[in-house]
Amino acid sequence: MTSVLHPSTLTRTDVEDFLYHEAALLDEWRLEEWLDLFTIDCVYEIPAPDRPDDDPAMSFSLIHDHRPMLEQRVIRLTKPTAHAEFPHSRTRHLVTNVRIVGSQDDELKVAANFAVFRMRNGVEVTYVGRYEYVLTASAEGIKIRHRKVILDQEVLDPHGKISIIL
Amino acid sequence: MNALNHIRQLDYTVIYARDKKGDIQVMLNSCRHRGAEVCRERTGNRKVFTCFYHGWAYSNAGKLISVPDGDSYSSGFDRAEHGLFMPRTETYRGFTYLTYSADAPPLTTFLADARYLIDLVADQSTDGMQIVRGTHNYSMRANWKLLMENSCDGYHGFTVHQTYFEMMMNLGVTPGLVADQGNGNGRELGNGHAVVESPELGMPLMSEDILATTTQRRAETVARLGEAHAKRMLNTTRNLILFPNMALIDLNFGIQVRTMYPTAPDRTEITGWQLMPKDAPDSLKAYRIDNALTFWGPAGLATPDDVEGLEQCQRGFASMREIEWSDISRGMKSEHPTAVEELQMRAFWRQWNECITGEEAVPEGPRYDTTYLNATAPDAVLQATGTGSDS
Repeated sequence: MTSVLHPSTLTRTDVEDFLYHEAALLDEWRLEEWLDLFTIDCVYEIPAPDRPDDDPAMSFSLIHDHRPMLEQRVIRLTKPTAHAEFPHSRTRHLVTNVRIVGSQDDELKVAANFAVFRMRNGVEVTYVGRYEYVLTASAEGIKIRHRKVILDQEVLDPHGKISIIL
Repeated sequence: MNALNHIRQLDYTVIYARDKKGDIQVMLNSCRHRGAEVCRERTGNRKVFTCFYHGWAYSNAGKLISVPDGDSYSSGFDRAEHGLFMPRTETYRGFTYLTYSADAPPLTTFLADARYLIDLVADQSTDGMQIVRGTHNYSMRANWKLLMENSCDGYHGFTVHQTYFEMMMNLGVTPGLVADQGNGNGRELGNGHAVVESPELGMPLMSEDILATTTQRRAETVARLGEAHAKRMLNTTRNLILFPNMALIDLNFGIQVRTMYPTAPDRTEITGWQLMPKDAPDSLKAYRIDNALTFWGPAGLATPDDVEGLEQCQRGFASMREIEWSDISRGMKSEHPTAVEELQMRAFWRQWNECITGEEAVPEGPRYDTTYLNATAPDAVLQATGTGSDS
């Protein structure tokens, strides 16, 4: 990555490389490094499955983390006292159908589909849905300003614990 | 008006509709012709439910209003007998209860002292309470009764939710020390309902704006209901379980409404909603929602650990031939049953045992203290002394 990186110069291949790198960090539970991919003003959001388009501030989302809470989520998940993830699940993030859907100022809007497999205690669960990213760039490379995870599952059965990062 | 929700309860699907008068109508979602579901959306607006199988149509008050080619039926066929099945329902403070039992008592009798706890939630706004948009529907691989226990279990807080409290402290909130404030109360409320209540453990970090709003709203509540009542309502956490399968949990920063339905002995479908004062300004609503979803829900920082705990219990129960009992004797001889003991769970299980075996549930411990009502307006005194069932 160069220091003159600007979102408008990014190709889909650049974005795919970035998203695959992110997926690898998650599957390897390198969560502090994953956190470093985010901007200071970031949001990580999973809307309520029955309200995918609602205002996250005024609806009962599953996750609506600004940076401080995202940091706390990561700190928590690295502790053995995060019981739901001790021992950690095995996960596999498959990211596909990556599209650059818009760009404005210093931002790039990206959509992708995902399947996240999670194996724990002999139970296998598959989360399916789409990502909506707002990416930006810094001297260190691409950064995530907004990461929205929209689940296709309306009822989280048997997905009752979203204690992994989707 | 004409709004609808259909909800799965056990294997049943039930339609909750508001008819054109605004009254709530509760109907089983099954055509009286051949049984197909007549409402297939989860939510929406509809005046008529038409079964797509043969076209029978029902009003949103359940009346059969149209039968295609109806002339072919004999004179003995009476449309009035073919409306959607309406189970018995009663509503208390906005909570609609449904029963298929012919001999269930009136709802207020059934709720017994739990009414006071529902009032403590419903009275938090002069303009009514509202369910926040967005529903958490999730499941766990454990028996439903374990979540009833867990929903009123003060003993598990610091072990299961240690990371949640550490998060709070990392963000600058110092939870009140239990030792300084006492261990709260565990109380039976009659008919298997029970509550644990504890002194407020410290609100999540708030801006000056939210602090000012909260302070002002508290002052208004004191003016309306008196200091003792306001303190019980706004500065006491209350985990209420309503027999058989509902919980209403007020942690002051948010109010969670939860139902749990078994789909198998080791499988439970859970629904969580967030309840809040309708008249709160948007900034306060956003604060409450933010903190509620950080704690509760399948992706919260607390609930997944509860679910994990209950699933671990369920796995442990595989050895039930060798280990026959769960122990909930904590605080058994206590004169002042606290929130970190287990009287409230015994209340639930005794009622459950009565339902299953017919053996009468024997009450334990003191009644819920409602003296906070006496310190206020004369109306409230009437309310406190005029009713109450000790069944």
